[in-house]
Amino acid sequence: MGVNLQVNVGGLIMKNPVTVASGTFAYGQEYDQYFDIAQLGAVTVKSLSIQPRAGNRPPRLVETPAGMLNAIGLQNVGIDAYLRDKLPYLREKGCTIIGNIYGHAPEEYAELARRLEAENGADAIEANLSCPNVHDARTVRGGALVAQAPERVAEYTRAIKAATKLPVFVKLTPNIIDIVEPALAAQEAGADGVALINTLLGMGINPETRRPILRNIVGGLSGPAIRPVALKMVWDAAKHLRIPIIGMGGICSAADAMQFILAGATAVAVGSYSFRQPDAALRVIQGLEAYCQRHQVEDIRQLIGAMEA
Amino acid sequence: MPYIADCRITTHQEVAPEHYRLVVHAPQLAKEAQPGQFCMLQVREGHYPFLRRPMSIERIFADGVSFLYKVVGEGTRMLSGMSQGQMLNVQGPLGKPFPRESGFDRYIITAGGIGIAPFPALADALKRELGKAPEVIIAARTERFLLCEKDFRQMGCKVHFATDDGSAGEKAFASEVLKRLSPAAGTVVYACGPMPMMKATHAVCAAAGAVCYASLEAEMACGDGVCLGCVVEANVEVETERMVRVCKDGPVFDTQLIQWESY
Repeated sequence: MGVNLQVNVGGLIMKNPVTVASGTFAYGQEYDQYFDIAQLGAVTVKSLSIQPRAGNRPPRLVETPAGMLNAIGLQNVGIDAYLRDKLPYLREKGCTIIGNIYGHAPEEYAELARRLEAENGADAIEANLSCPNVHDARTVRGGALVAQAPERVAEYTRAIKAATKLPVFVKLTPNIIDIVEPALAAQEAGADGVALINTLLGMGINPETRRPILRNIVGGLSGPAIRPVALKMVWDAAKHLRIPIIGMGGICSAADAMQFILAGATAVAVGSYSFRQPDAALRVIQGLEAYCQRHQVEDIRQLIGAMEA
Repeated sequence: MPYIADCRITTHQEVAPEHYRLVVHAPQLAKEAQPGQFCMLQVREGHYPFLRRPMSIERIFADGVSFLYKVVGEGTRMLSGMSQGQMLNVQGPLGKPFPRESGFDRYIITAGGIGIAPFPALADALKRELGKAPEVIIAARTERFLLCEKDFRQMGCKVHFATDDGSAGEKAFASEVLKRLSPAAGTVVYACGPMPMMKATHAVCAAAGAVCYASLEAEMACGDGVCLGCVVEANVEVETERMVRVCKDGPVFDTQLIQWESY
């Protein structure tokens, strides 16, 4: 039985509903040596800023139970080097590209979106309004992230939408009481989709040295440890949104991905599990197809939000 | 190009308390591996531990490679419980190898503790390719953790010992023994060990005008340049390029590149 895996995520056609989470796949080329990355529904690139960024001082990463904490701090090559050095490889391969962007103000996001569209640098924009690692950990409190304030989510979304005709997805933070509020704010401001979730804030202390494990003190928790939290947020948001959701948070297998689709995600992203298993996203695609065959589902879209309560 | 494959464990033995030698059957990997490169080992299925464990390649054989490791946490503890005959998922070879350039007067290896791990392969390659058996400083807390002496002697290496407690060789740091060996311009020193040891080694080499390459260690998620978690700070003029990845830009660095003040 032929199975349709193609989905339309707010105007972005993906040949299957599987992408990778920004920051877990660099700019694609690194993992193309392990599998053909053009098989992905889309490649979501590491956050791009106008200027290159060095990121935070090390140590930046530590393993945690069923996951990891990171405080990379959006180290990236910047938009110019991306367009010049990284993009040609992805285009040559025929990849569908989600361009993840990060800026300090709405105008910077708008500028990045404009550049990506003008130079064919992406097929959709994902606005990272939720990186937890670019603020001073000693002062970061509720509201420091754009995605913690619905009115700012709306402001940023409007600025980006005004700058580009590409589909715009807004990536939101789980470090909030009610995910529905910023998700609705994004939708009302014209977002074509939301990406849920970014990492959960966490930290670690070395009891022997009594010092924080990460130089930044706090970092973002990812991996299967956060999957139930992410799933619940996708389910919450799906009940209230008309626009599609890209679900992510600890997805390692097709069974994990199916949970997000059943909860209401139109597409999913494999995140930090790619670090352990570089072709994890490909295995998820293959597993989703097998799932559909096993359940005699001709079109995966029939399963979006199909949890039976 | 790195491979990912299930490899049979052909030997797994405790060589000192909490220290193990693990040999895997991996012909393709062995064919491409160079001294100083490493592999990412998946200690078990499931989500705990979540990440692979980076391990220096100790020896490169025709049909496989060996690793020498110390149990430092739960991941290496689980690994140490694996038996000969079991399959281990191995990703590698990864990272940049030790440069092996001819034309130096002296080749000196200096290792602190489990930092000895990448050096049997290097000494073997230097001997075979350049006809020079390097001098080797093996330093450890105490005598029973001085590893690989026999391997180096078989290759014709002159071996110097240093221990923290004086139980074998000099009661001294590796860098102090190195200093007494009088490295100079025309000497190349290869170092691996705790950060303070490599920092001191760099200082000795810099003062003597010797070239020094160090193999660094860092917590890493991917091992292949993607996660940017394992960076160290480098002496690079462009501020936005000062973070270098231990996994991909290293693990072997010319020690002049590293900002040792941070360590």
